[in-house]
Amino acid sequence: MAVSSLVVGISDCKVTRDAESVLVTYALGSCIAVAMHDPVTKVSGLLHYMLPESAIDAKKAELNPFMFADTGIPRMMDVLKNAGGDGKRMVVRLTGGAQVLDSQGVFQIGKRNYLAARRILWKAGILVAAEAVGGEVSRTTRMEVGSGRLWVREGGGVERELVRSSGPKGRNNGE
Amino acid sequence: MPPELEHQSMMMDQEPTASDTIREVAAEVLETMFFTEAELATCEHSWLAAAACARIRFEGSHFGEMLLGVSLEAAGPIAASFLGLEPVELTDTQHGQVIQELSNILCGAMLSHLWPESKLALLSPELTPWQEWPPAGLLHRCFTIPEGMLAISIRLAPPAQPAGNQ
Amino acid sequence: MAYSVLIVDDSPVMRSFIRRVLGLSGFEVGECMEAADGEEALARLRAHRVDVILTDINMPGMNGEELLRKLGADGVLKRIPAVVISTDATNERILRMIALGAQGYMSKPFTPETLRDELERVLGERDASRA
Repeated sequence: MAVSSLVVGISDCKVTRDAESVLVTYALGSCIAVAMHDPVTKVSGLLHYMLPESAIDAKKAELNPFMFADTGIPRMMDVLKNAGGDGKRMVVRLTGGAQVLDSQGVFQIGKRNYLAARRILWKAGILVAAEAVGGEVSRTTRMEVGSGRLWVREGGGVERELVRSSGPKGRNNGE
Repeated sequence: MPPELEHQSMMMDQEPTASDTIREVAAEVLETMFFTEAELATCEHSWLAAAACARIRFEGSHFGEMLLGVSLEAAGPIAASFLGLEPVELTDTQHGQVIQELSNILCGAMLSHLWPESKLALLSPELTPWQEWPPAGLLHRCFTIPEGMLAISIRLAPPAQPAGNQ
Repeated sequence: MAYSVLIVDDSPVMRSFIRRVLGLSGFEVGECMEAADGEEALARLRAHRVDVILTDINMPGMNGEELLRKLGADGVLKRIPAVVISTDATNERILRMIALGAQGYMSKPFTPETLRDELERVLGERDASRA
């Protein structure tokens, strides 16, 4: 069976229900990847956003809502719903949010991106199933649409499956 | 050393550790349940006159109180974050209740970190205007949060003397 | 099977937070009752079936510690699992509440997911013990 790999770039989002597909995103430094999967319909989405709040550049957010958490996450959820995904069933996982020196010389953006996702998801009535966030390493995230399984590679390390964990106290953050 | 000065001295002896604790606990509480982050800020208190504030007393092996101030523009977003609502959906009563609960969580977490082997009880927090407590024996920090400002003061007090024991 | 939950906390917004987590956790929650102190909690427990109790400690009136003591002294009520949710994370308090029969202890602050996981553990153990 041919597996089709859908690459999600920076400030990008892809949604599919093709069970033969794999959604993948690379170079998650301070950015956050939000992976959502409906285990019944297989409708799945992967969002890779750069910044927490669109208020800093509303024009950019209009051109590309996936650049920001507060426009990207709701937009992805709309697309998932239109594709047949049920918000109440969604399995949601977060990866990324590392403390890296970004182009603005800012260390804290990773944490801000992470907190933005947590705040928006809580407001949307969604609890996070698992996360691999923080630390200082860049990550790659890959999700199989058919099974909903998700793998993370941290730095140059081995890819490992991200399974259910508790919140920040049980966070897989490269330790 | 008179007992009241002994308490102040004990607090000040721990000051570098206690200051770190305030910072770390404030960050942990705000990130974990309020999904926002706090950074230490230089103190400038003009905003406190209009801030939403709560005071909470504690007793047991240590007696004292904590005062929390949240700037007016931050109280709504903080409350909304906690409850998972939009700020416009909140009532003034809910604003106040969240500030009280925030003070409760901050105080309990700080005391548990500072004195993990102690026996403590927290009284119910009360909404109150901000008070500038005397600096002697006081632990105080201001923070910036994305929504506005936050201030925390903690002081110990000598335990109440039994009547007639002067 | 729908679980019946009793939340005991004098803070209405903390009760809302917990209620929200329950609603989002995927458990089938049949009835979610609230009480502002231990006395109110006991009244609820005597009038309704409850599968799990989530209780604060510091409350005006009857506090959480006294509530656990009363539950432990009741042949029927002591079988209901109780999880403490408190700002008090001192060692002495945690040990005391466990000794009084608390099945779990969550110190604030905690994430919604951590509460969800704790409930899964406690309800899972309860269901296993009744199997």
